[in-house]
Amino acid sequence: MTVSFILNGEDVSARARSADRLSDFLKRAFGLSGAISDCRCGHCGRCLVFLDGRLVTSCLVPAFGVRGKEVVTFEGFAQTADYIDIAEGFKTAGVESCGFCSSARCMAAAALLERRPRPSPKEILEYMSCAPCRCTDPEIIVRGVQTAAEIRSRRLYRRAGR
Amino acid sequence: MVQIATVRSPVARGSVRSIRFPKLPTGYRSILPADIPGRNSIVSFGAEVPILAQDRISYQGEPVALIAGPDILVLEELAASTKVVCDEEEPFFSWESFSSDQVVAKRVAVVGDPDLAFSIAASVHEGVYTSDAIEHHYSEPQGAAAAYDYDKIAVWCATQWPYHARDSVALALGCRAEEVSVRPTRLGIHLDGKLWYPSLLACHAAVAAVACGRPAKIILTREEDFRYAPKRARSSVDVRTGLGKGGELSAMDVRIAINVGAYGPLAEEILSQAILACTGAYACPNLRVEGYVVSTNTPPMGAFAGLGASHSLFAVEAQTNRVASAIGEDPADWKSRNVLRKGSRLLTGEALREDVPYDAILDRLVAASDYRRKYACYELVRKRRSGRTDGPLRGIGLAFANQGAGAFLSGDLSNSYTVEATLDKDLSLRIFTSAAGGAGGVREVWRGIAAEMLGIGLDKVRIATPDTDQVPDSGPSTLSRNVSIVARLVERACLAIQKRRFREPLPLTARSVHRSPRPTSWEGGQVSGSPFQSAAWGGAVLELELDPWTLEPKPLGVWLCVDGGRIVAPRRAASALRSGAVDALGACLKERFDPQASPLAYFRHGLIPLEDLPPISVEFLEPGRRVQAKGIGELPFDTLPAAFLSALSQAADHPFSSLPAPPSKIVGALGGK
Amino acid sequence: MRDAEVHFPKDLADALDIMRKRPGIGILAGGTDLFREQGGRGIALPDDVLFVRDLAELRRAGLTERFLEIGAAVTIAELLELGESALPPLLAEAVRGIGTPAIRNLATLGGNLAASGRFMDSWPALACLDGLVELRDQGGATWMNVNRLVGEGGRSAVPEGGLITRIRVPLEKWDIFALRKVGPRNYPTPDTAVFAFAARTDKGILVDFRIAFAGELALRSPAIESSVIGRALPLSARESSTVAESYRAAASFLPEGLSLQFGVLVESALGMLAS
Repeated sequence: MTVSFILNGEDVSARARSADRLSDFLKRAFGLSGAISDCRCGHCGRCLVFLDGRLVTSCLVPAFGVRGKEVVTFEGFAQTADYIDIAEGFKTAGVESCGFCSSARCMAAAALLERRPRPSPKEILEYMSCAPCRCTDPEIIVRGVQTAAEIRSRRLYRRAGR
Repeated sequence: MVQIATVRSPVARGSVRSIRFPKLPTGYRSILPADIPGRNSIVSFGAEVPILAQDRISYQGEPVALIAGPDILVLEELAASTKVVCDEEEPFFSWESFSSDQVVAKRVAVVGDPDLAFSIAASVHEGVYTSDAIEHHYSEPQGAAAAYDYDKIAVWCATQWPYHARDSVALALGCRAEEVSVRPTRLGIHLDGKLWYPSLLACHAAVAAVACGRPAKIILTREEDFRYAPKRARSSVDVRTGLGKGGELSAMDVRIAINVGAYGPLAEEILSQAILACTGAYACPNLRVEGYVVSTNTPPMGAFAGLGASHSLFAVEAQTNRVASAIGEDPADWKSRNVLRKGSRLLTGEALREDVPYDAILDRLVAASDYRRKYACYELVRKRRSGRTDGPLRGIGLAFANQGAGAFLSGDLSNSYTVEATLDKDLSLRIFTSAAGGAGGVREVWRGIAAEMLGIGLDKVRIATPDTDQVPDSGPSTLSRNVSIVARLVERACLAIQKRRFREPLPLTARSVHRSPRPTSWEGGQVSGSPFQSAAWGGAVLELELDPWTLEPKPLGVWLCVDGGRIVAPRRAASALRSGAVDALGACLKERFDPQASPLAYFRHGLIPLEDLPPISVEFLEPGRRVQAKGIGELPFDTLPAAFLSALSQAADHPFSSLPAPPSKIVGALGGK
Repeated sequence: MRDAEVHFPKDLADALDIMRKRPGIGILAGGTDLFREQGGRGIALPDDVLFVRDLAELRRAGLTERFLEIGAAVTIAELLELGESALPPLLAEAVRGIGTPAIRNLATLGGNLAASGRFMDSWPALACLDGLVELRDQGGATWMNVNRLVGEGGRSAVPEGGLITRIRVPLEKWDIFALRKVGPRNYPTPDTAVFAFAARTDKGILVDFRIAFAGELALRSPAIESSVIGRALPLSARESSTVAESYRAAASFLPEGLSLQFGVLVESALGMLAS
């Protein structure tokens, strides 16, 4: 079947099989590997995307389920100011990861900061659990998100002209 | 490119009678053992592991054939429809008691006269400590790819030892090693699970590439990885300790059984490490230790955050904590009285050349965690408690351990590593090493060392792509060698360049080679050598509380203190230790390895939710002093499990002996109280 | 893998019409549970699938004086966003523990109740609260108490062939309540279960008392609850012990580990009535 939706800000259409998970569909039909199809059971978080603005594990979404919806993968997210804030925050705080979970964690951080501009350490760790990884130093990751929150707040404050 | 699906044995033990493939569409082909041009096995740390099992099956899920083709969904269906017909035999799963046929390695060592010492001991205490398999839960899926690249076969895989992959593929293809080029892909957190297994996948990809004449890629699903790739070996350590009148350790009798599954790669090394660690940090004048590595018909198991010492360290620390409690002494004091000192005779017969920094580490831990007061308080509550609801269910545990110097202890494994560096005309430096960086910043550590030694900007230092065509063999990246050995080799290469750079024209290349003398040798029940002389030491305190409703253990705090010699990058090292502590806590608390869980074994295994973590504090003893940097990455795993077990035993007032401790056991121990 | 025929109904009436014309059609709302349990690269779907996730009628949530009504396709995250004043605390506590934030953006309350082969996190709280589910099929609409979703031996017995459309939760006030989850929290395993407890008092008398416990099997005993209702508080040690013993006997069909844990949870709940 043909699935038409908005992908990273653009209208797209492609043929999907009913058996396709969204994560596999994004790779196969659009060549996007930001949402990595890894565990395919919603566990590892490597396939995180924003679906109509909500952070979801795309391996649990059927490709046909995004008809008419908006999907943002890491490739699209990486063009946003939110990503720049988070990347800078992580770098300033010294967050060093294995490299496989970092894009998912950036997206999880963005989803959190959208809802909670000043999250508590517990909230931060809960969102980082969206992409669990053996490379986690909880202290540094909390500091990274808190630093990103500061940077983001300053940007939004400036944008509001205050 | 072709993708690859694996056809696996349905039985755990037996022989293959036939493999019946369904009708394969055009563009798809099967690959059988007969299609392997060279040798149908990889040699891994003293064992031979078949690339595709031909006659004998040694575990359920063992690869017996491959199917290659363009569409992975089609391949999975074809593999699922392939019938592997076997003559099934009774498998061996039992390992805590086992037959001699199952013994892959055995070692015995005796020091002094343990029988006499036990006969006159004031008290004798025994405990059996078991730990289950642990899943590595890698950052990334396992797989490999291979393709012709002009006159070579190029192979891509994430491996701790690129040269092992190269040599394995060359043997499998029946070609020279120089005709294979391994280009390692990014290696996430490996926890020592990728020493040899990636070489097997590399052979699968290479054989398929040659058979199909096209690039080939194999990626294991997480389920396959969970069920069939190597896990931490299971172990059971029986420790009997004799104490003198004053509570001093006078005798130990230790029996170690380690289940390595099929084939037993790393068996000798795991056993050597386990035996040498069996007295932990304590002076024991009379000792008998018997160690067995046992093979069973399960997928191969082996290393996890170290190569075997943690099995024994867990047991000896848990036992000494229990013994101290039994004689009414704070384990911290008991350990202080019995810890090795300068001049103490070790299992190897050598005398320790310097004091073990136990007291210094203990002082820091006590100050940070308030260990002594809490231990005394929780002991009082434990002894006086009349029921489960009478007072908080809290415990605090202490453990102390060492991490060896980074050399393999046994077998004929090479302990020779090489690093090269070239200073170019534009004063940029390239470092050539096959050592895998793993996660985080060890590559940054090497760059930092080089930049400082040569007085050039960090941006001028690059680590060359670790292609086996371009870099020398720096050995397997394990046992914290990236810090304890490779970093030193980078330093020495840079020093050599520095000495020549103003006298000779650029570019300048220096090669630095490290050859460890074999630290141990075993003969007739005696082991000799010097494995301890540059060990790092670490202590851990863990405090926990049992939730009054669910009786599930909730960690309240973790404190680590480490003497790792010179800490080259303290912030990174502390971060790595915290990360290791998280993994160790997960293994104690949440992770259950159950490959038979159906339908989704991998899904039912998970890492500890981060919001459940307690604060984790890390301190170093004199990290800036100008001594050798030592490997410390294994210390959280060498200490925290025993600290956890002791804390749990105190909180529940029940002598737990195995990890993980399932909730039903805790409830069973406490439910009636 | 054959391609399934997927139907995208315009509205609920259209969905019911398709169900009428194609009896036995597979109904897919979010599919979170289905896709997770399959785990392989491709998803095996029935040949004929009705995709109802985006139906407006299933995506509404509303509050009246007496109950909260939630469309079956409302996600857990959206449910939590209704806020503390709208959501009964016991239910809020239950759904807050489901998965991770990303999973809660996909998982629905209807899917949580209709999960195959086991009870998920919301059932014990809804059971204690006497929640109702609306099931619609060719014959029409039926409201069913969630306690009737338990079949023989404590197994999940969600009626097949129908569509869960709404869940209704009475907004009664409970003086004392508690919810605990045992076992791995972020994903359901045989060791995972949820314990819910709610009690109401009036002038020192226990006027209502409910305990529900569920993982792969469910337990709720109206008989034991009735034996406690009407007693004066605080409960004596002997009363608590008798009730606890009754529950331990009732839980004997559960796996041993969970049965033991349930016993301890019951004692803790009774402890709230004894203090």
